[in-house]
Amino acid sequence: MTEYFAGLDIGSTMTKVVIMNQAILASVIGPTGPEHRKLANRVMEEALAKANLPFDDITYVVATGYGRISVPFADKQITEISCHARGVSYLLPGVRTVIDIGGQDCKGIKLSNGWAVDFVMNDKCAAGTGRFLEVMAEGLGVKLDDMGRLSLTAKNVARISSTCTVFAEQEVVAKLSEGVPLPDIIAGLHEAISVRIYSMVSRLKIEREVALTGGGAKNIGLVKALEAKLGYSVLVPPEPLLTGAIGAALLGEDIAKQAAESGTPLLRSERRLREATFFT
Amino acid sequence: MVYAAGIDIGSAFSKAVVIAESKIISYHVIPSGGNYKLAADQVAGEALTKANLSFEDIDYTVATGYGASNVSFSNQVVTDISCQGRGIFYLFPTARTVIDVGGQFTKVFKVDDRGRTTAFLLSEKCAAGSGRFLQVIARVLQIDLKDIGELSLKSQNRVDFNTGCAVFAESEAISRIAEGASKEDILAGLHRTLAAKIQAMVERLGIEPDCALAGGGAKDIGLVKSIEERLGLGLLVPEEPQIVAALGAALIAEEKAASIEVCQ
Repeated sequence: MTEYFAGLDIGSTMTKVVIMNQAILASVIGPTGPEHRKLANRVMEEALAKANLPFDDITYVVATGYGRISVPFADKQITEISCHARGVSYLLPGVRTVIDIGGQDCKGIKLSNGWAVDFVMNDKCAAGTGRFLEVMAEGLGVKLDDMGRLSLTAKNVARISSTCTVFAEQEVVAKLSEGVPLPDIIAGLHEAISVRIYSMVSRLKIEREVALTGGGAKNIGLVKALEAKLGYSVLVPPEPLLTGAIGAALLGEDIAKQAAESGTPLLRSERRLREATFFT
Repeated sequence: MVYAAGIDIGSAFSKAVVIAESKIISYHVIPSGGNYKLAADQVAGEALTKANLSFEDIDYTVATGYGASNVSFSNQVVTDISCQGRGIFYLFPTARTVIDVGGQFTKVFKVDDRGRTTAFLLSEKCAAGSGRFLQVIARVLQIDLKDIGELSLKSQNRVDFNTGCAVFAESEAISRIAEGASKEDILAGLHRTLAAKIQAMVERLGIEPDCALAGGGAKDIGLVKSIEERLGLGLLVPEEPQIVAALGAALIAEEKAASIEVCQ
């Protein structure tokens, strides 16, 4: 019988689901929103429909990310550090340092033989996370998805002196009204955020290859700014947002295999998509 | 009669104080807006009108604050720390530690027994710990900044925040509202978070009683109580906490005017 594994990554900003059987069969990415406890089942349903599978056919479900405890139908919760490590070593073997730029945090993970051995993280301050760019996009009146492309046409990269997201927003709006071209401002923001990310990740010994994951890796301007700091190119998975969910599904497969090998029963929760009732 | 004026152009509010014989004759406070030069002219004009005086009647003017360089009619610019120290010493001669919660920064400084500032700390890198934090939250909760204090005192079940960052606190506040938390409980939680940041600054500088609280943040009774609770002592709060630096500037201006007269 073919075995299927599901990985759900409930991030602070985006919810990601993959269903795997060796390869990725289906994936869904949606915004997390304040209703994320309801959304987990909806995205799972959607992914199952895409893969054309009933929920019963999923051997094991692993949830990860900031909202992982909000997935009542998951068989296991695993930290995003472990899931990212597993996902990256599957997608980009040979990577030794992962920089994950999430919606509300930023992590540096050191890998050894595909496993996480050390990490650093900022989830205390919005500067250096996707949230920083989100706030700036809003302040500048541009789409987050357009920032990377726009920044590449910068002629004179603007200097952004504020670290704090709140003050930086004020600063860029003032710069815009002074007539500083938009691409120069956006490039300045990428420079500012990459300085912050680089200095945090440097607390680990950065070793090649370096992979960039998370929503931040979809911003070509930010990727280029970080490459300039590192002095070499980085690797980016085809869909950087899915890295954690893929890792979660793969870790589920590992658990199922181990259980089968040792002859112990696989502990699973009921295969029923229900809403979480946490925090109520 | 010697008239002196102090103009404090802050990042959020502009204040003007007119004094004679070391007594306040009039003062005025307006939002700074985007044009500091205009704000300076306007706030000084209003204060003078209230005092029934004109620009020519003022012997000496000291400008201070973030936008001090925009005050075209000032005789001198003095740092806001010095002005605030001078203003606090006038109002509360026993105060040795001063906390100023401003629109953009929070400052903590020490004043000696002659009103001179001896040491200070600034929170300038981060909006957490400043009045800006409360502005951000007031906006998402759709309440008036000036109502925050009274509302927070009605809290029954304070919400504990996991973050000190103003940006993250904003999203957390939205999530808590979605979960059914009341505005009162959210505000009380935010005051606690803000007070923790301020407490950390005060402790880094070393606290020496008496302790005074100034700046727009001191108008927020919920914040005052939270800081008092954190520090474990009562705070001296001026009747009009926003004008302390402008008052100090005016007092410094008066001294200057007197010394000029002596020279002449």
